[in-house]
Amino acid sequence: MPAKSPAEMIKARPSGGLRDSLENLAGRPRLLYPLSFLFGLCVWELIATQIPDVIFASPSTVVLHLVDATVTGELPRLFASSLQHMLLGLSLALLVAVPLGFLMGRNDTVFQMFDPVVNAIFSIPSIAFVPFLIIWFGVFFEARVSLVFVMCVFDILVTVAAGARNIEPRIIQVARSFAADRRSMFFKVLMPASYPFLLTGFRIGTVRAVNAMITAELFFATVNLGEYMEDAASEFNAPAMLAVVFGLAVFGLGCQEGIKWLESRLLPWHVRD
Amino acid sequence: MDKSRKMFLQFSGVAIVLLTWELGGRILGELLLAPPSIVAVSYIELLLDGEMLTELAASMRQMLVGFGFSCLIGMPLGAAMGRSKVIDALVHPWISMMVVTSVAALAPVFILLFGTGFEFRAAIVFVASIGYVVLTAYHGSRGIDPKMLDVARSFGTGRIDVYRKVVLPALFPYLITGARLGLVHAIRAMIVAEMFVIVGYGGLIFQTGQDLSTAPILSYLVTIMIVSIGANLVLSWVGRRVAPWYDSKMAAGQ
Repeated sequence: MPAKSPAEMIKARPSGGLRDSLENLAGRPRLLYPLSFLFGLCVWELIATQIPDVIFASPSTVVLHLVDATVTGELPRLFASSLQHMLLGLSLALLVAVPLGFLMGRNDTVFQMFDPVVNAIFSIPSIAFVPFLIIWFGVFFEARVSLVFVMCVFDILVTVAAGARNIEPRIIQVARSFAADRRSMFFKVLMPASYPFLLTGFRIGTVRAVNAMITAELFFATVNLGEYMEDAASEFNAPAMLAVVFGLAVFGLGCQEGIKWLESRLLPWHVRD
Repeated sequence: MDKSRKMFLQFSGVAIVLLTWELGGRILGELLLAPPSIVAVSYIELLLDGEMLTELAASMRQMLVGFGFSCLIGMPLGAAMGRSKVIDALVHPWISMMVVTSVAALAPVFILLFGTGFEFRAAIVFVASIGYVVLTAYHGSRGIDPKMLDVARSFGTGRIDVYRKVVLPALFPYLITGARLGLVHAIRAMIVAEMFVIVGYGGLIFQTGQDLSTAPILSYLVTIMIVSIGANLVLSWVGRRVAPWYDSKMAAGQ
């Protein structure tokens, strides 16, 4: 925890009672998050006892299944092949969206021209493009890559465009006043000012790509983790299904928090909530 | 930049995209990409046919039930999270997890739990949208200026009045923004759920994919786009209408 500000020190009272100790605990997320995690698992376990095993599983059986299938190597193998189309789709989306986002954000004419169109397409649920993608790319690897691409490209584009547009004009004016040439303007001013929203775009895109990864495997030919889930569904194997869902949620959350951590490490000057 | 120039640019942007689409469509053929001229004709046919709009209305009603529940539960929960560290710490990790969870991956699980009917779709929409409603309300209630609360207290305002006259008005813009975000995701989730079990409007989109022309699919996409944009406009209009301070608050970079 960072040093307390004077205001906080005035506010701090001698503690006592359950409420105060909980409030104290809340100041230390490292302690409290595992606790809340455990608490949630208990609630889930309680709910699961009320529902038949075939349609809903308790966290203990889900975790057991997750461990079992990981030890046999089945889940890691499927997960690795799932990652292939996710990473390819995400990289393609970044390659397209980052330059376009910069162009839109830094050039007002381009922004005014294409902002309405981008927003219009962005408001279409990406999944609705699936029939189209089937016509164009079939139902296998190419189709999955294309869905991942479609699902994250607009999120990244919108984030990068907004970020590039909102670069503080004063820092550019200062550089101009010091007669910066185009090269140093780009490398010493614009680029460092872009790191924060580039990482934000990367984070949002990655979470979307994890989401798209499993969506693609369920909506085209079911393969890898999607096939695993479908098989589990047809056998009423609730623990196996929930294991995939839970595992992917944890993976997505891990990606998100990991990139946030990276932001705080790489960009300490960038104050964020 | 003056207004007429802006209008001109926006108009020409749309025109460029439509022209490129028309050209591309003519070259690729109707099977791969129907050009806008053909889509427009097919759109009018579908409108007159009526199935598109009745399916859409039915799907929207079901979606609104799920979305209504996520507002009813999500808004107070988010507000409470912002005011109490304990509630925040207990709920926050799970809400974050809900936000990152893929709707498509939840679909098979929810089919086992709820079947493929109304409850299934409402539940999917609920889970997909509540996270956004909660998190936006949370940021709003955490950002309430303590000075405003202090002023209210200095004038001897009671607890309930503080809540009614200070906290709620300050929170309002965030609740509306949360509802807008949530609604976008609710519509997405509805389409995912319906495409998964091939019913309703999403089912319509998925089934038409097997036809010979892409014009009907594109028409369905245009309609869902109009619905999504329209819902967004309506909610921000409501925001401005009910709370005139809405714009200034949201423009402040919050």
